[in-house]
Amino acid sequence: MSTGESREPKMFTGASRKCVKNPSLFTELPPISDPLSSETETSKIQRETANSCLPFLRGDDDGGPIGPLTSWGVPRLQKAQHLEYLYDSLEDYPTHFVGIDSSRPWMVYWALAGLSLLGEDITAYRQRVISTFAPMQNPTGGFGGGHGQFSHCASSFAATLCLAMVGGTDAFKLIDRKAMWRWLGDLKLSNGGFQVCTGGEGISGEEDVRGAYCAMTIISLLDLPIDLPPEAEARRHGLRMFSSGLPEYLSRCQTFEGGISGSPGTEAHGAYAFCALACLCILGRPEDTIKNYMDVPLLLSWLSARQYSPEGGLSGRTNKLVDGCYSHWVGGCWPLLQSALNGAQAASASVSPSVASLYSREGLARYILGCCQGPNGGLRDKPGKSPDSYHTCYTLCGLSVLQNYHYHTDSSPSLGGIFSSAFSWHYSPILTPSDFEPDENVFDEDDRVTAFHPVYTIPHRAAENMRAWCEHEKIAI
Amino acid sequence: MSSGKYAQSPEWADIDPIPLDDGNGDGIIPLATIAYPPSYTEATSYLRAVMAVNEMSDRALKLTEDIIRINPAHYTVWLYRAKIIKELDKKLTDEIDWLNRVSGENLKNYQIWHHRQIIVSRLRDSLTEESDFLTEERDFLMDIFARDSKNYHVWIYRHWLVRHFNLWEDERETLDVETLIDRDVHNNSAWNHRYVLRFSPRDGPEAGMPENSGPGLKRGQLAVVDEYIVDAELEYAEDKIRLAPENRSPWHYARGVLRAAKLPLSKWKRFASKFIIEEIDDADNIIKVHVKSSLALELLADVYAEEAQAKGAEAERDKTVNDDAEEAQAEGAEAGRDKTVNDNAEAQAGAEAERDKTVNDAVRMLTLLKEEYDPIRKNYWDYKMRLVTRLSSLSTAA
Repeated sequence: MSTGESREPKMFTGASRKCVKNPSLFTELPPISDPLSSETETSKIQRETANSCLPFLRGDDDGGPIGPLTSWGVPRLQKAQHLEYLYDSLEDYPTHFVGIDSSRPWMVYWALAGLSLLGEDITAYRQRVISTFAPMQNPTGGFGGGHGQFSHCASSFAATLCLAMVGGTDAFKLIDRKAMWRWLGDLKLSNGGFQVCTGGEGISGEEDVRGAYCAMTIISLLDLPIDLPPEAEARRHGLRMFSSGLPEYLSRCQTFEGGISGSPGTEAHGAYAFCALACLCILGRPEDTIKNYMDVPLLLSWLSARQYSPEGGLSGRTNKLVDGCYSHWVGGCWPLLQSALNGAQAASASVSPSVASLYSREGLARYILGCCQGPNGGLRDKPGKSPDSYHTCYTLCGLSVLQNYHYHTDSSPSLGGIFSSAFSWHYSPILTPSDFEPDENVFDEDDRVTAFHPVYTIPHRAAENMRAWCEHEKIAI
Repeated sequence: MSSGKYAQSPEWADIDPIPLDDGNGDGIIPLATIAYPPSYTEATSYLRAVMAVNEMSDRALKLTEDIIRINPAHYTVWLYRAKIIKELDKKLTDEIDWLNRVSGENLKNYQIWHHRQIIVSRLRDSLTEESDFLTEERDFLMDIFARDSKNYHVWIYRHWLVRHFNLWEDERETLDVETLIDRDVHNNSAWNHRYVLRFSPRDGPEAGMPENSGPGLKRGQLAVVDEYIVDAELEYAEDKIRLAPENRSPWHYARGVLRAAKLPLSKWKRFASKFIIEEIDDADNIIKVHVKSSLALELLADVYAEEAQAKGAEAERDKTVNDDAEEAQAEGAEAGRDKTVNDNAEAQAGAEAERDKTVNDAVRMLTLLKEEYDPIRKNYWDYKMRLVTRLSSLSTAA
């Protein structure tokens, strides 16, 4: 096993560990554990997961991370390998991947978003993106998961974001915005929410918060009319706009635990929490919409409880395991909530919010860099799992969140119309030691990734350019 | 393609399949393509053809099954299938039987549970009094939960079933929840279902907690509560916490129950205190703290903050009375008012002292969480500490 070649990086890590600072918080199991007599399937896999993360968090030679560590004992971001992984994920898949046939729009989004986060110029993919999505668009509006598939909120969302990221008139022009508007009208439900797709003639798709977030993202990026099309079923129930009854609907998704569920009455879940909060941040200023429609203290307590030690990572639900993807879904809620607490900031003034990060940026960085990097590129759910492009994209999104301070301002009247707040977000890199941020940056300065728009999860420029083009090219209804 | 099953079948001879367009034209290579198995490529080309003319037929129904077997995540084919079953007025129970057979292999699949919901929603009208459907349905769900007890899609379906068939008071619902919690007391999905059964609104729009219950009520609070249910539920949570004090689910649950019943958190002060044992020396100084549950600390921190707030409000009231009396005195009122001023000044000082003491208690709990028992959430505990400390400093400053 131990060849000369593999020994070399180990010597390197050994040398750098002399100045390692890995506090016991990240190297030991929590101080309290329930008696073994009450052990359940849940507590058993929780303990196993924590144990399987420990070598990676301690930086052990055996079974731990590969490659050099920062002076904080955290592995470097293996950029080159992740790039190779993501570029490869855009190409052909073998036969047994037939089960992702309806998720091809997502596969393209995750890869392009991941590459953008790693600083790559992806505009070279413009033609290939256009060719890929053209046959997925239906003449009745929206994009399906593939040629001949019903239009779906998720595929239309992914398609829109991909076209925004590669940018350019040819990409923007691909979308039949008028048809998109009509089709989205079919998705609006009488309770204020959205279904994710429709089979027509009384066959409805599932109703959940994803539908609402995807629809409002598309409407606001493409500058579609906020009024429902005249033929929309929801109009017969007295709703006039896409936003009618929507914040109230999202409010009803908050559960007694404080988190937000996929639809009213089900369990609080991190992915849906992000969709609901981001949707509220499209509908208005976070200090208005989030504060008016959510019980913020209850939400904070649930969100904060998603972070575990020693793992440092985030879980999606109470008593579930940490998973790299929640670095985005749960981690991405933090800037939105923080902005709701701080209110609009001055765009130019030096950044010093009254409420700084309320989660452990250090813990999340340690989990993403220590536990999620696969040995051959790509990032993963947790040690023992294989990387995939979904986890690669969303762990990198999480890394971006924790590296930057995101805030919204009152100073973007030029863009966004009624959605001007959604287009007023700014960021500044968090540098430590800092006057207001309590945690140190435990990642290497060279391992910074691109800052993404906290609502649209694409680069700020991509969102702004698409909106600006659409505002210029008004559609006639 | 001509060698495929459909191409060779006389039953399909009248159909011109529509080949896949994955964007592979003009020499541009599309992204994230898949080397489909030939059987899938052929079947989906026939699917596009029959869907283009909205064909509602038995052969199309069989075609959907073929495609689902190869790719169960193909949401379009599920919706098309549901439509065919509706249009051809197929026997719904046959469809349920088929779903029961394929569900086990597709535990993580979204579509299958939504499809079940579409089918079952139409089944209701045909159910007779003596039908065993709801019993069988829940037997089936318990089989699925035995393999994947927190499956989000299955719980969404279960929730829908309760609402659609008005099973709020149905004993089987509680029974199944308790079976699942007995099997795994950490199963938060089961706890959530229990809360929904007991406290979610049954009429009007669905919601995760009570809302719009009446004037002056916060979200999560009920206008009218059945005290018997509240006591029973709090006791249930207590029992489960004793088994595993570091289990977040029943703590959340109890907070939800207290909130619904408009009870202060301090109702649980005594219970939570049992998990924190403070060793005291002769001079009443705390020399050591034994903590058996970080969640008890969290609850007590909130209890003290709640109490400090109440005491602060009391001090504020006394201060107002006092100020009014002083004002009256300044305006040359009778000398007897002096006593009122003094009494109220004392009351105000007393309330302020108690308030500051409870603020200190809250800070003590939060410090234990921050430094020892839940330090990963340090920044959040610091934030809570700032909020609670503000309670004392603000009115003192005023």
